[in-house]
Parts: sequence; C-alpha cells; structure tokens
Amino acid sequence: MRTLKVFLVLLAFLLIGVLAACKPAAPAEPAAQQEAAPAEQAAPAEEAAPAEEAAPAEESAPAEEAAPAEQAAPEPVTFQVFYPVAVDAPIADILKGYIEAFQAEYPYITVEPVFSGGYGDVQTAIQTTIDGGGQPPALAVMLATSLYDLINADYIVPLDDFVNGMEGGDAYLSDFLPAFLENSYYDGKLWSIPFQRSAVVMYYNADMFKEAGLEPPTSWQSWAEAAQALTTTDGDATNWGLQYPSGWPYWLFQPLAIGAGQNILEDACTVVFDDPAVIDAVQFYIDLSAIYGAMPAGVQGVWATAPTDFASGSTAMIVHSSGSLSGILEQADFEVGVMPLPGKEDGTYASVPGGGNFYILKDVPPEQQDAAWKFVEFVTRPEYVADFSIQTGYIASRASAWDTDAMKAHVAEVPQALATREALQYAGAELSTQNLGQVRNIFHDYLQRAYNGEMDAAEAMAAAQQEAEAALADFCP
Amino acid sequence: MSSRALRKSPPLLPYILLFPTAFFVALFTAWPVLLSIYQSFFRQRMNIARFREPTFVGLGNYLDLFADPYFRQIILNTLKYILGTVPISIVLGFLFALLVNRKMRGIGLFRLAFFHPMVLPMVSAATIWMFFFTPGYGLFNTALRTLGYSGPENWTGNPSLALLAVIIVAIWKNAGYYMIFYLAGMQNLPADVYEAAALDGANGWQTLWQITFPLLRRTTVFITIIAFIDAFRTVDHIFVLTSGGPSRASTVLLFELWLERFEYQDIGASAAITVIFVVVLLAFTVTNFVISERREA
Repeated sequence: MRTLKVFLVLLAFLLIGVLAACKPAAPAEPAAQQEAAPAEQAAPAEEAAPAEEAAPAEESAPAEEAAPAEQAAPEPVTFQVFYPVAVDAPIADILKGYIEAFQAEYPYITVEPVFSGGYGDVQTAIQTTIDGGGQPPALAVMLATSLYDLINADYIVPLDDFVNGMEGGDAYLSDFLPAFLENSYYDGKLWSIPFQRSAVVMYYNADMFKEAGLEPPTSWQSWAEAAQALTTTDGDATNWGLQYPSGWPYWLFQPLAIGAGQNILEDACTVVFDDPAVIDAVQFYIDLSAIYGAMPAGVQGVWATAPTDFASGSTAMIVHSSGSLSGILEQADFEVGVMPLPGKEDGTYASVPGGGNFYILKDVPPEQQDAAWKFVEFVTRPEYVADFSIQTGYIASRASAWDTDAMKAHVAEVPQALATREALQYAGAELSTQNLGQVRNIFHDYLQRAYNGEMDAAEAMAAAQQEAEAALADFCP
Repeated sequence: MSSRALRKSPPLLPYILLFPTAFFVALFTAWPVLLSIYQSFFRQRMNIARFREPTFVGLGNYLDLFADPYFRQIILNTLKYILGTVPISIVLGFLFALLVNRKMRGIGLFRLAFFHPMVLPMVSAATIWMFFFTPGYGLFNTALRTLGYSGPENWTGNPSLALLAVIIVAIWKNAGYYMIFYLAGMQNLPADVYEAAALDGANGWQTLWQITFPLLRRTTVFITIIAFIDAFRTVDHIFVLTSGGPSRASTVLLFELWLERFEYQDIGASAAITVIFVVVLLAFTVTNFVISERREA
C-alpha cells in the first residue's frame, strides 16, 4: 500500500513536470530562441525588462511627436522576422549583421530573426501559426507572387501609411527598380517592399562563342542556330548547346512568351495561356530539341545540375536564375556572358523577375509593426541594398544602390552583375494571380504535356486556359 | 476490511500509468483526426475572402474529390507506388538478411552497406539520386548502359518513368531497414529446429521455405505494416526529384494533401483527404492484425 502511495506521489510530480515542460511551447517561440541573438547581443537584462518598468522618467515628456527622436527613449519593443535561407549564400549570417547594426541605431528595438527553409516554409509556418491561434511575426520575407493569397487570407497589412509617414516616401518608392514593384500593388495599395530579388537570364560561354565565330544571339533564330552549332558529341556523351530546366517550368518559360509578344497573364484574374504568341513560345521550346537538336528532349529536371554543367564547360548556354551568378563565376574558368533571353524578332529580349519581398503581418501590436517598418527602411537603405547584392548575388533592388561606391567597385570587377540589372528592362510581370497555387499547377501540367509530346502545343494551352478559367471563377466574380 | 476494499475498487494503477500516453495520443492523434472529420464536411478556402468562414456542405468535399479525374489519377499513382515499393523492398530485405546472416570476416561492413541508406535523411538521399538520375552522364544511366540498356534516360522528366524513379529511391532506402528486422528475427530462431531438419535430410531450399520463412511470419506481418505506412507517408523524395510531375505523373496522396492544404489553401478538401488516409491505414492495420492473430490461435 505504502509503495503505491509513494509511487502515485512520484507520478504526480512527473506529470506536473511534463505538463510544465509542455507549456512554453507557444507557436514559433522555441525556434526564435534557438536561432536569434548571436552571442554578442544576448544582453539578457535589456530583453527581460518588462515594458511598464522601462524608462518611466523620460516618458513624462510631452506628446510623442513633439519630442525629438534623440531625446525620447521609447518603450522597448521586440519583434520577430521570418526569413527564408534556402539559398547558397550565408543569408543568416548576413542578416544577423544587419540586425546588429540596426539595433545599435535603435537600441530600444530587439529583432528576433527566425530562419527557416524556403519561401514556402516561411509561408507555411505563418499560416499554421495564425490558424493555431498564435501571433504571427511582425515581418516576413515571402514570395512577391504570394500577394493575392496573403491578402485574401487577411494575413498582411498595406504599407501606404508607413511610406507616407516617412520623409520623402514617394522618392523612396520610385527609387526601386520598376520591374520589382510589379507584384507589390493591389486594389490601389502597396503591400510589399522588394528585397531579395532575382531575374531569369541566359548565361553563355563567351569563349566558346568566340572560338566558333559566333555573336551573342539577338533573336530566337540566331539563338537556336548558335545552340545547334555548339552542340557536340564526345564519344558517348553529348555536350549540349543549351540547357533549359523545366521540372517546375512556369518561371523560366515566361521570358519565351514575353519574347513572343504576349506574357501569360494580364492581371490577377486573367491568364492568356492560349494566346497564339504563348503557343508559339511553347513550340519554340519543343523545336529547340525536335528541330535544332540543341538540347535534350522532353521535360528537363536539371535545375540543380545545369549551373555546374555550364561552369564545367560541358554546356554552352543555360537559362537560369540570376541568383546562380556567384556560384557560376566561382567555378568557371572561361569568360561568362550574361544576357536577357533573346526574343522572337531580331533585337528583342525578355526576362522576368523573381524572389521575395518584405511583408508586414496583420494582428500584430502596432508598435511592433512600426519597429518592423523601421527595420525595412533600414535594410533598404542604398548602402545595405548594395552590400546585400554584393554578398549574395541577388539584384540590388534600388537604383540608388547602384550609385554607391561599393556597388560601382563591384560592377567594375563583375560586369555580369550589371547585365542582370539590364535584363530587367525587358522583364514582364511574374505569374501572380488569384488562386495562384492551382492556376500554376494547371499551367505546369499542360506545359509539361506539350514539352513531353503528349499533346501538341495549341491543344495543351487551350486545355490549360479552360481549366485555369474554371479555377479562377470562384475568385473573380 | 482493507483487503475487501482493495478487491472491490477497480484497479487504479494501470489507468494512472496509461494516462500520460493516453493524454498525448488524444491530444496529438485523436483530436486532430476528429477535427479533420469535422472540417471535411465544410467548404473553407483560406485564399478566397468569402469562403474563409466555413460553410456546411455535407459530403460535398468527398464527392468533388472523387469526381475529379486528377484525384482518381492520384489514387492510381498511390496504388502503383505502394505495389511497387512494399513487396519488392520486403523481399529484398529478406534476401539481404539471408546474405548477411552468417559468420564471416568483415560481415559488419556488408550489413552496414545494406543498412546505410536508412540512416540518411530522405532529402539527402533524394538529392544524391537526383545526380544519379541525371540524363547523359548520371551514374544510374551509365550503369544501365553497361548492362545493355538503351531505353529512355530522362528518368525524372519522362511521364512514364517518373513514378518508377521515386519508387526505385524508396526501395533503395527501405530494403536495408527491413533487413535489420529480418536479421534480428533470424538470429533469434531456435537452432534445434535446424538440427532436426538437417538430420531429416532437408535441403537448403526446404529449410528456407518450411522453417525459416514460417518462423519469421510475425516479423513479416510487422514489416508489412510499417512498409505500408511508410509508403503512404514518405514524400520528401518526390519534392526533391520530380515535384510531383511531370504533369502530376508522380503525385501521390500525401503530396496532393500538401498541395491542397498549403498551395491551394483548401481546408475542406485537405481534411477530406486526411480522413481518407486515416480510414485506409486503419482498415489495413486492423485487418492485418486480425488475420495474424487468428492464425496464431
């Protein structure tokens, strides 16, 4: 009997322990604690200070607006930023450096970065946090194209008030490269600020072109012929003239459609997959292998291997993200050319932007949103935009960043970086519609059927158009 | 007195001991399942403002799913995937176990060779295989070519090969894992039965089929269950290798569930798929246990 009692008491303690251990598992917190605050910043006293106790004396100053910023010591505020890190560059370390500099300038703000996988993972984490009744982070970097899904789900707030509240807000906005703001507006409001941005470009082996007496292509025709001329067989292996990944194809495909004269979308509710120009573009992709024999046939799941194949000299040209530039330059021992994709007509070119923007989340205390905006403003200063671009290979998103000394020095050393920016002037909008996931999947489905020869281009695009319109019906009454 | 009271009152201790497990199972398994059943009767899409609030649609989500030709294709893909992975990896696991169940110098190395794919995370394994599958110079194609194969080589981009490609990776990954269970089972088999068989003049084949295999029946049942569940719930390699494509040729049920929930933000449809999942797995596990227990009796 006694042993049982002792046992029960022990068990009770154990249970209490287990339950207590479970309690702090509020959404997203543990991750933040693990990843946030590099050793130097872990000043626990500052962080622990409850808001009410902090600096009561200074607060008795007049109205907040009246007091000059330097004298008022605002209440300490802590906010989280969710950030995707699934790229080659050491994004987490770079971001932590910026956060340190930011906190030095705004001592009362503490930024807790939460780094997680890719763009999708960040969005999923925020979705599950909100669905589970938790508080989302104040700030997050998510795909520019997620705009409509985020607005419809009521996850984000417009940024117009923040921009209007800053000095020279209009000048600030108009300084961003226009192509990068394409996916930021909806309903006459601004919803995101470009940061980690890229574009589709064509890389070519300039040495091979020179040896073969070829000029960089200026049209589909000269592009296909160059690719054909540079395709060689070496025993069992073929050195392809061109590699054009299509495992997840819409993004790299879009420049072909734009180059044929018609982007695949017109607005959030209108796609034009069955436009003759789009069908033309699909057919050109097929012809590159079927007629010119300049690249492998069918769907190419070579996103990961193409840059290596190009850098090792076994492929003369690849279509890829501008984000692969640093990696390619590191490995390649030949002159790397970077250009927008040639368009159908001679002298036309095309590209499409990609990447992530800053979003400020809803249902977050306003002081955190304000602090988050201050951080956005801080890291989009020209010197930081330039630094981020130099360190990661993403395209600097503001015109003034390209005028900084650091960027000028970088461009002098790596002229290809400038070529990625120049490609943007030929860019159309990236596919971003209502019900994006489903519309994109429908397009992928039929585009790949056409690439694989299961359907002809016109037939496939007509079917894609029909299904996409059905998928948009509920969203666009 | 006290002894009578003890006899009368129901035994409390077992329930107390079970409580923590029951609590967590209820919280993390039973509750989500109940919630999914409930949600599957509602139309709710997070990315359409006017469907954000759930509206009751009865069996609408289920009817929509089964009326959708894509969903039927995905069910078919899932069946092919299960039939492709489960039996072959179990048979291979058994053969591997037979091969390495012997005393021999360096046998540990062979066991490790068969088992190591299990230790790798699926994403790393799939990334390695992505390079193996590379058309042209990929190791897999090179090996096949030396064996005289001259068919299509674009494994992840060809609609008739993509599902096979992810099946191959799953078999490679799991066979060694099942080998471990068989190996453990074989090493626990009674030696006297084999001695008796040897005295009776049974040959190797007879010993294998009449003794080893039947004695390992419980192991086989266990492995079948975990293999089946594994086949349903591993999709990491699909994300890496094919993204469910080309043209959904390698999309299986769990991948579709992820798409519906996080890409299409369709809570109702994803809840319905979850329920279908739970029902199938439950039915399989229960039948399997019932059959094996009955034979045991």
